Amino acid sequence: MAKKIRVLIAKPGLDGHDRGAKVVARALRDAGMEVIYTGLRQSPEDIVEAAIQEDVDAIGLSSLSGAHMALFPDVVKLLKKRGAGDIVVVGGGIIPDEDVAKLKRAGVRAVFGPGTPLAEIVEYFRSSGT
Amino acid sequence: MKIVDQVLNGDKRATAKLISMIEDDERGASEALAAIFPHTGRAHTVGFTGPPGVGKSSLINRLVREFRERGKRIGVVAVDPTSPFTGGAVLGDRIRMADTGTDPGVFIRSMATRGHSGGLALATFDAVKVLDAFGMDLVFVETVGAGQSEVEIASRAHTTVVVQQPQSGDSVQALKAGILEIGDIHVVNKADLGGADAMVSNLDFMLEERMGWRPPVLQTSALEGKGIKELADAIVKHYRYLKAGPMWRRREADRARKELYESMRRLLAETFSEDAAGETLEGEVAAIVSRKTDPRTAAKKLLRDLKLGR
Repeated sequence: MAKKIRVLIAKPGLDGHDRGAKVVARALRDAGMEVIYTGLRQSPEDIVEAAIQEDVDAIGLSSLSGAHMALFPDVVKLLKKRGAGDIVVVGGGIIPDEDVAKLKRAGVRAVFGPGTPLAEIVEYFRSSGT
Repeated sequence: MKIVDQVLNGDKRATAKLISMIEDDERGASEALAAIFPHTGRAHTVGFTGPPGVGKSSLINRLVREFRERGKRIGVVAVDPTSPFTGGAVLGDRIRMADTGTDPGVFIRSMATRGHSGGLALATFDAVKVLDAFGMDLVFVETVGAGQSEVEIASRAHTTVVVQQPQSGDSVQALKAGILEIGDIHVVNKADLGGADAMVSNLDFMLEERMGWRPPVLQTSALEGKGIKELADAIVKHYRYLKAGPMWRRREADRARKELYESMRRLLAETFSEDAAGETLEGEVAAIVSRKTDPRTAAKKLLRDLKLGR
């Protein structure tokens, strides 16, 4: 059996807008991946714990609340602390351009803003999982 | 093996990795399973089945909290369907189990069926073994929302809990064979919706004592947290019933028999998929097509010639 790509899609923090996360989850499912969706209002600790138990290849974080500069790097840091720094972290949502470079320096591998074609996101996860 | 030692020493990441190895049928998976096997057989395995949307995940979420308060360590394997079209899956049971957070005494694993029927994935009960060896006292298995005939869980778990909801059928529905016959414990969840009493009495009417155990019918509301203690008590009571008599060993033997047959079937399939055997196989296929032999005779011949169990 070929190795399946497993992805965790999570919404850190307090905003309740999960349409984008669900659309991405569905696109990854349709591309043949196993997507674990953990729902709203997750702390970075919750997300990292779930990612480890589920043995995912990558984590997709979605935030529309403006708290991404605190939450996304926290996930990266906690993963490293748990010896799981090999899990790829990407972000999406409403992220100002000036924050993208900072997030990447903090270890977030890619950031997908509004209007990103789904095919581009799918391709990114596929290449990071293999 | 290093990964096995790590699992036995309580390493969560290694435990998760080993489950993936088994799911993907990677090299070393069989050896690892063989190495953990002597460390299994302690955990009480409880299966949860019932139609989609009756609240199995939410009920498990509540039960995990309840058993944590009683000092137990809990593993959960939650199965959701794989798309037969794309091979992908969205595994969403974890959303309902969010109360668990980062509790070190809980390990939840979502699993896709990957084409296996019967409401479980092929690797589900191997994952249960891993969680057993990891040191969990109880392992809950949530099947995909099952219809009327997904009964495989009953031959695998020690205790099977069948979950339904109010107003999902009259007394004739309860008469039908299948899923109702496999419950050691029956639960009418969503009792907050009303109509649960009628459902309970319809089910209760159908059930009778078998081999010293009379399946109870309980009402719960996972939403409001009602009836959870009673359900936990019933699970413990069933465990004590199994342990007190011959039933624990009998269920273990049933499972061992099933797994033995399954392993033989898999080995056979793998042997035939190897190139050399494949050629022999193709020879017989040609002979069948040209009517020189028939499928049964050819099968017997192939089995006789096979050098199995390398």
